[in-house]
Order: sequence, then C-alpha cells, then structure tokens
Amino acid sequence: MKIDEFGMDTVSLAGPLQSRLRTMKAAGFSQVMLSARDLVGHPQGLQEAIDLVRASELRVTGFRALRDFEGLTGTLHAYKVDIAKSMIEMCAALGCKVLLACSSTSRQAATDSESLVRDLRKLALLAIPHGVRVAYEALPSGRTVDRYARAWDLIGAADCPNLGIGLNSSQIFASGESLEDLELLDPLRVFLVQLSDFMWQEPPALEERGATAEAFRVFPGEGINSEGLAQLVMSLDRLGYRGDYSFDVANDDYLQLPLPTVVERARRSAVWLAEDVLQRSVPLPGALRLREPPSQA
Amino acid sequence: MPDTVFDREAIGNVPNPLGLNGIEYIEYITNQPQALGQVIEKIGFKPVARHRSREVMLYRQGDMNIVVNAHAGVLRGTAAADAGAPRISALALRVSDARAAYERALELGAWDVPMHAQVMELNIPGIHGPGGAHIYFVDRYRDFSIYSVDFLPIPGADAHPAAVAGMHYFGIVQYIGSERTDDWVDFYGRLFGFVRLPEDTRFGILPKGTLLQSPCAGASRFYLQLIEPDPTTVIYDEQELFQRIGLGTPDVRAAVAALRRQGVDFVESDKLHVTERGAITRNLMHSVVFELVHDPRH
Repeated sequence: MKIDEFGMDTVSLAGPLQSRLRTMKAAGFSQVMLSARDLVGHPQGLQEAIDLVRASELRVTGFRALRDFEGLTGTLHAYKVDIAKSMIEMCAALGCKVLLACSSTSRQAATDSESLVRDLRKLALLAIPHGVRVAYEALPSGRTVDRYARAWDLIGAADCPNLGIGLNSSQIFASGESLEDLELLDPLRVFLVQLSDFMWQEPPALEERGATAEAFRVFPGEGINSEGLAQLVMSLDRLGYRGDYSFDVANDDYLQLPLPTVVERARRSAVWLAEDVLQRSVPLPGALRLREPPSQA
Repeated sequence: MPDTVFDREAIGNVPNPLGLNGIEYIEYITNQPQALGQVIEKIGFKPVARHRSREVMLYRQGDMNIVVNAHAGVLRGTAAADAGAPRISALALRVSDARAAYERALELGAWDVPMHAQVMELNIPGIHGPGGAHIYFVDRYRDFSIYSVDFLPIPGADAHPAAVAGMHYFGIVQYIGSERTDDWVDFYGRLFGFVRLPEDTRFGILPKGTLLQSPCAGASRFYLQLIEPDPTTVIYDEQELFQRIGLGTPDVRAAVAALRRQGVDFVESDKLHVTERGAITRNLMHSVVFELVHDPRH
C-alpha cells in the first residue's frame, strides 16, 4: 500500500529531531514537513540539523513558515525581506522546494491588492535563484487575505511561475469557505495541501481559533470532519492535483505520547486517505505495470 | 503607401528597462590561473592588464573582455577551490545607469552581492545569479574604462587586440534544474527585460534548450540559453551554473581553422560536428567549453 503522497509534520511529535525523523521513516513515511524552529532550535545547531534531515532520507515536503511578509513599507519591509532571505536559504539548504508563506495578519500591512501583489512577486523572485517555490496560504485571521479564493486572486495577479497556493483544511473549514471554489484553481499551482481533522463539534469562533486550533487537531479520519476532508481531498484529486498532503496536526496529547504511538495514528490516517478515499490501491486503467522478474530459486 | 505598417511578426516594442547594452566582461574563478590563461589565449584572447591588488588578470579580444580571478578570497568554499576546475563566476552587463539598475533589481527581489572593494577601488554593484554566480552592472564603458581604475596595463601588450575571425560575445549557456525553465525566464524577463524566443528558434549546432534574447539593440544584443537536465538520463544532475560562453562569428569555418592552428580541439562526433552554423570545443580543464555560433553581425 502506498502512502507516499502523505507526510507528517514535526509539530505532531515531541522529542529530539532525530527521533522524530527516525520514527516517521520506520513507519513507512517518505516525507516530512519541517519548521524553521526544528532546525534553529536543534541543540547541535543549524548545520547539524540540516545534516540530520538530509541523512534521514525523508524528502522535505515544505518548510514553514514565513509570516506577515506582504503589505509592509520602509524599515518593516526591509526587515521582512531579510527574514524571508534567511528562510529561503534554510529551505534550500534542506533540499526543500516549498516555502510556506502565510497571509499577513499585521495591522501595519497595507490592504490594497497592488501592494500585496508587488510584495508577493518580490518574494517569488527572491526564491528563484535558490530553486524554492512559495506556497501562499490564507489564514482566517489574515488582515486582507483570509480565504483561499482571495489568496488565489492575488497569486493570479502576481503571475509568477514559482508562486502558488498552499491550502490548509482547518483554515478552509474554519472560515466556512465553499469547496466549490477549488475548481477555480490550477492544480499545477497548488504547491502544498495541509490536512487535519478536529474534535470540536463546531469550528471555533474567530477569536478562539488561534489557541484551540493549535492544540486540538487530530489526524484525518480521527475527528468529526472526516467527511469534509474526504470531500476536500477528492475535489483536489478530481481537479488534477498530484502533489503532497501534509498532516498539520498540533495536539497537546500527542506531545506526551510515545512517538511510535502517534506515528502509527498518522500512518492509519494516510492509509485511510490512500485506500478508502482516493482508492490508490486500485490500478488506474491502462497504467503500466511491470512484471516481477522470475525468482532465481 | 499607408501611414501605418502593422507589426505582422508580433515583435512589439521590447522594453529595455536598464538600458542594457551588451556584455562588459565575463569572469572565471580558478585556482589554476596560468593554465586557464593558456586556454583563453588559445581561443584568441590576449592578456592586457593585471589587477593592482589581487590575483586577477584581464584578457581581451575585439570587444570581448574575460577576467580570470584567482584571488584567494573568492575561492574559499567554492567548487573551483575543491576540484580545481574553473567556472564562470560572473557576468557583467553594460547598462545606462549601474546604480539605478542595481536599486531597481533589489526592489524587485534580487539578492545583493556585498561589496568588497578596497580603498580607491571601484565598487561594481552586483546581484546573485545562478548557482552562486554574480551578475554585475557597469555603466562606464564608453569614454572611461572600469579597468583603468583597478588594473595596470601589461607593459608592451596591445591594449586592444583584434578579434579572431570577427568573434564577439553571442551569449551564455546556463544549465538549470528540472522544470526550472519558467522560473529563469521570469527571472531574466523581470529583472533585465529578456524575452523568450519561440521554441523552434535555434542558433548554432546544439538543439537543446530555451533561448532568451536581451533587449539591447543591434550589435550589442546577446542571448541566454537555458538547458534543463535530459529527462531520459539516469544521472542525477540538478546543478545550476553558467556553463559556457557562446562566441558569434560571421565565418565559423574560418574561426575554427584559426583556433585549430592554436591547438583548440573541436567536437567531431556522429551527432555534433563543425558546420558553417556552429562548432563546439572539447572540454578544456574539465569544465571550460566555448561554442562558436554563426552570426553575421560585426
């Protein structure tokens, strides 16, 4: 069974980076989403952390997160450009192709499309020499860009080959956005999809979102929004999206469980998505299948 | 006669935002400057000046300048220092206002190259290009030369040696990673005003890649050719770099004959050989290749 399309995020696991990577790899995962804090906070330093990741043989799905970049001016803008450059350099050093950039929540940020588009273009151009693509993601708490359809408008206006959209299921469901608008997206410009389920009966209200969303997410299929997630994933698949799905699951309970226990939950979730939802085990019509070589015995 | 002639070929007005006007120089870095110097001399370049404070030489033929940089500071931690193979480390472009070009590039999202000029040396503003190479902006190239500040002429050398067979800079071939063509087309288009030529446009004898044309007019126009890894090969090679220099000449066969007399070998194989359209040298010092392209200008 193939779970190659799915990966965990280091945020779901406690403990040293090396153990987290090793446990994911042992469970059959082939990719991992990393945060800058994983690297910078590593006790042996940044380079050791990068070496660890490269030695783990896990592909890095994406690197997070650049925040509050667009819409600023003057020294604030110059400061954010410096931050972006550091993030891009770390991302490239990991061999990671996708930098996650979240829509600005800053009150200082301009709200006009022209300024936002200009800054997104600049961010994309900064990333080009390093071979990094920018996945721009709408946060529900974003000052101007608070839903994916709005993020998509700006991405279209910016029109840069390495600027695409990052989708996050919890943000889409929290903002109550329709999945129908997904049809507007160009699947080749969807650079990252993050999935998580939740236990709450209702998506929390705007002001509670920050704290709650960070603490009580569960893996897809474990919560009460499994059907919504299945619809989301199937919509993207119908659209032609063939990229990665990352489990964006921050949960305080998981941070006090043994790593293999949590990783096993993630693996079950990946199998559910691959087999039950996307039915990846069913061969595609006309798909090339190589015959096994005859055994030498 | 009608007043308006329509633009049938959809060429349009190619904007030239920087007043780009050709290549001022191309720089190699190496830890074997003598050996590389000999290679460059075989191609027809002559040493004309030496840097005042660093191990840097200027070679010239016709309107083309090559800088060979063996200064220890630039070699630290580079591929050239590790393997001894020279590589193209910078492309200096002639623009109408270097400072304005530099500031515009940074505003759009280019990475600046920290300046490291010594006292009384020229500060040449630059940005990052592919694979750690730099792209510099030079505006003093008409009545004043940048080399007269930092370089001392080599005694007795002709400062303006003629070009072999009318050779001039035709362009640079850049190797890029898989599926990176659109990114680099965007990079050169937005920063410098390069335009992508139709996929079937070909110069010379090598059939691969995507061609970008500089916005300069007439004789100073040059080309960048972007080449992705061959998808059918099993070798993992995602390296990005300026791979070779393209030299234009109105008479490829005459140029080949002249360079052969100097000891330059050209590739002659089933797929590639010297024709009137172009020729390519064998690899020199593992990493140095020149390509000749038929180009009647000059």
